[in-house]
Amino acid sequence: MPIQRTQREIRQRAPAWLVALLALSFAMATFSARDQATQERKIRVWAQAAAMPVQSLFSGASGGVGGLFQYLGNMRRAAGENETLRQRLAETEARLRETEAARAENERLRGLLDLREGKEFGAVAARVVARDPSQWFDSAIINRGSSSGIEVNMPVVTSEGVVGRVAAVSPVSAQVMLLTDERAAAGAAVGQLGGGGTANSLGSVRGFGANGLLDMRYVSGLDQLPPVGTPVLTTGQDGIYPAGLKLGEVVEAKAGTATTSHEIRVRPSARLNSLSEVAVLLYRPPPRAVPTPTPSPSTQQRNESKGK
Amino acid sequence: MKFKIAIVVALAVVLQTTLRNLPGVGQWLVHVDLPLVVATYFALRRDVVGAMLAGFAAGLATDVFSSGLLGANAFSKTLVGYLIAALATRVSLDNPVVRIPVIAGAAALDAVVFVMLHRILGQPPLAPFAEATAYKLIGTTVAGTFIFYLLDIFFSDRARQRRHFAFRRRAARRSTLVRR
Repeated sequence: MPIQRTQREIRQRAPAWLVALLALSFAMATFSARDQATQERKIRVWAQAAAMPVQSLFSGASGGVGGLFQYLGNMRRAAGENETLRQRLAETEARLRETEAARAENERLRGLLDLREGKEFGAVAARVVARDPSQWFDSAIINRGSSSGIEVNMPVVTSEGVVGRVAAVSPVSAQVMLLTDERAAAGAAVGQLGGGGTANSLGSVRGFGANGLLDMRYVSGLDQLPPVGTPVLTTGQDGIYPAGLKLGEVVEAKAGTATTSHEIRVRPSARLNSLSEVAVLLYRPPPRAVPTPTPSPSTQQRNESKGK
Repeated sequence: MKFKIAIVVALAVVLQTTLRNLPGVGQWLVHVDLPLVVATYFALRRDVVGAMLAGFAAGLATDVFSSGLLGANAFSKTLVGYLIAALATRVSLDNPVVRIPVIAGAAALDAVVFVMLHRILGQPPLAPFAEATAYKLIGTTVAGTFIFYLLDIFFSDRARQRRHFAFRRRAARRSTLVRR
């Protein structure tokens, strides 16, 4: 028989419940904060893995309903767009032929120079199933995890450019820290890598708060100021992203001086506000060479005398 | 009833994580804290323990998908749930007009506690405090007022009475037919 409690009794017990729940929340928050140094939050990983099936189910269902409405809306515009698309198709086919020729030429030249293809790593396609529900942070949850070979710090990209990097992994999901996050950074170069075109300026990009732009730092004020629209690419020196991925385009540039760096704002190429499908690059940066100290002549003499 | 409350809390969290990714409107919908609205609604029903549990569950589920501290939203929403429920047992907050400042107060308190907890544990949030709190206050208050009307359809005392009388009417009709 269920125990019947009066409203007064329930009210008397409320402070105890309050203390218990607040203590539990605080303990979890503290535990979560402590583990941040290692970049792995075990409790979050477990919680995400447990919540993933429900989230995927709802995400799929909401995607289906949303897709239906989108489809109905798009039908109205489809007729007008059809003609435009036909013209574009013809143009694209012409461009494709040119690209094929350029690619064939490129491959021949690569073979001549005995350069290795830069595709030493695979990619895992993933769907964004959830975004950070809090307005205070911005991250994305994808439906692939360590069971698909994804590890912490692997780069996440779309066909348009870099999205961010994997911040935490569970067996069936992963949390992606977006490029616009102030805690994320990437080594960047303005202009084309490998010479040609504009002169390269090296620096690093990081999130610039809530406006969705990136701040490019440490670009020497003595370098040529890049014009608006110049592409910004990864350099591969940060140990996270491979070289040559598109980060974004310069939208604002203020000239620095001999002692101050340029102020450059970059708009990310990937549409971070509406991510649906992404690819996680299974890229592991090459290990950095550790410099071996060369003994000075005096040290050598001392060692020799000790040996004797 | 508890099952219904659990469904509403789960739905609020799922919508919160999904709507943000909608192109165009997603960046504005993030300022509406649906789990907080739901927790506040159940707190106004004067069930103190139920309000705290709803706030805790909604907050914890939000934290799972957030890159902030796990438990921070649970902490703030439990506290908000308790304070509003405790207030509702002393002062009448049933008037729809009175609910508006209650939602606004809940949004502001939730933001302050959330950010303070993060700062105490050395992980300041990324969004600027004053701007984000102002947007959250406006967004949550406006959306919350409408959501309260929606939730009233299923959970208000009047709705419960209506369902109760509908059942009695059906029973009475059935007994009259049997007698005939």
